[in-house]
Amino acid sequence: MRNSETAISIKNLTKFYKKFQALDDVSFEVKRGDFFAFLGPNGAGKTTTINCLTGLSNYQNGDVRIFGYDVTADYLHSRRLIGLCAQEFNFDPFLSIYQLLVYQAQYFGITPGEAKRRSNALLERFGLTDKRNCKHRALSGGMKKRLLLCRALIHDPEILILDEPTAGCDLELKFLIWDYLAQLNKEGKTIFLTTHYMEEAERLCKTIGIINHGRIVHIGDKKYILQDRSLEEIFLEITGSE
Amino acid sequence: MLHLITNPIGVLALSKREIHRFLSITNQTIFPPLVSSALFMYIFGVAIGSRVNFSSTGLSYLQFIVPGLMAMHLISSSYENTSSSLFIGRWHNHIQEILLSPLSYIEMVLGLLAGGVARGMVVCLGVGAISLFFIPNNIAHPLALLYFMTTIAVIFSCAGMMGALWAEDFGMLSIWNIYLIIPLALLGGVFHPLSMLPVPLQIISHFNPLYYLICGIRWSMTNTGDTPLAICAVVSLALASLFFIATVYLFKIGYKLRT
Repeated sequence: MRNSETAISIKNLTKFYKKFQALDDVSFEVKRGDFFAFLGPNGAGKTTTINCLTGLSNYQNGDVRIFGYDVTADYLHSRRLIGLCAQEFNFDPFLSIYQLLVYQAQYFGITPGEAKRRSNALLERFGLTDKRNCKHRALSGGMKKRLLLCRALIHDPEILILDEPTAGCDLELKFLIWDYLAQLNKEGKTIFLTTHYMEEAERLCKTIGIINHGRIVHIGDKKYILQDRSLEEIFLEITGSE
Repeated sequence: MLHLITNPIGVLALSKREIHRFLSITNQTIFPPLVSSALFMYIFGVAIGSRVNFSSTGLSYLQFIVPGLMAMHLISSSYENTSSSLFIGRWHNHIQEILLSPLSYIEMVLGLLAGGVARGMVVCLGVGAISLFFIPNNIAHPLALLYFMTTIAVIFSCAGMMGALWAEDFGMLSIWNIYLIIPLALLGGVFHPLSMLPVPLQIISHFNPLYYLICGIRWSMTNTGDTPLAICAVVSLALASLFFIATVYLFKIGYKLRT
């Protein structure tokens, strides 16, 4: 890796959807091994930022790097380092969940034998082994969430990007995901999380960034941000929400 | 920067997935063109064709239409495979599985192309195999047939991807096939030699690129054709290259793939 200490570097990122400015000169860094919460109201620019990081969106201006690799010019390197757990259930309807993971691993250059081993291990870890031959349509919402996580982790990425991973989950699954993410972070994975649950961010994250109307309005270490007030109070004050 | 092949395992996996997709729904992808070809051969070749005087071509009518049917179904199957696969990928958004992976844009196109080429060839050879029930059929030039099958499948697999990127709904997806590709194929000599047309239409037909592709397949099968083989070969290679480059370019700029 070109830069081993800065996992994500975004400088002066500007993104328009036609005339609507979704991101306005966004700049911030996420250190290697950090657990970064990226917060903001709906439409603030969280998912757009993630899409720019992962190469799912073009942008008009700025410099976006993953461990020093430019996400546009060096996309073959940067994409190997990222695992994305998206908001929506976007699975290939023709494949069983096991086939889906095996193919996904191979897209990342993992040999078929290793892809099968990893797929089995992740399905086991997330309690989906008995559903391995089912298509994703046969899974419950919670199981699909787990499958999204499996797919994001199949190539053992350095950075895990999670776009509202626990939205719509029951308590049991939420705690399972929290424990797993905390464990992954402890093992050295950099985690970039967006969420609307302040409790989730407070509990899991080390660094917190808040975006509103496409601009970064607050960023810093959780310990200093939460010295005398709750994250919810700070969030409401900064974003002007009621 | 345009990368070439850097992830062979990934390309192979994508190719396998595309082939797996059409093989898992053979009732929609393989058998319908075979059934319709058998009916065409019986009705036009056996029932009507036996009454058509076709001596000027040196072939029976059935011998004449079999390469045309093979070409027509090669064209439509290749187009349908990539257009439906990519469009469904966009529709369900599981195209992200590919877009997030470290596959170069050429590799993405090659992987998707593999499904279209494989399905086109399976159907094309299937139509040829069915024709054996009606006529003894020796392939005059097997290597030339392989060449034309490959280039034609590449052209229309790429066209299918371009159609899938352009389309906003399922209706738009089939517009090109229904209103452009199939009419051009039919007018390109699937069922008739150019010499049977009035002279003005013969001249116009020479501007139909699909005429050269069908002509190439027919020459490969029967060693007869209205146009020199070299011209057919050059046209098909040029079109295959052009469509491939255009498709890779669309992936590179993220046309309707990236927001």
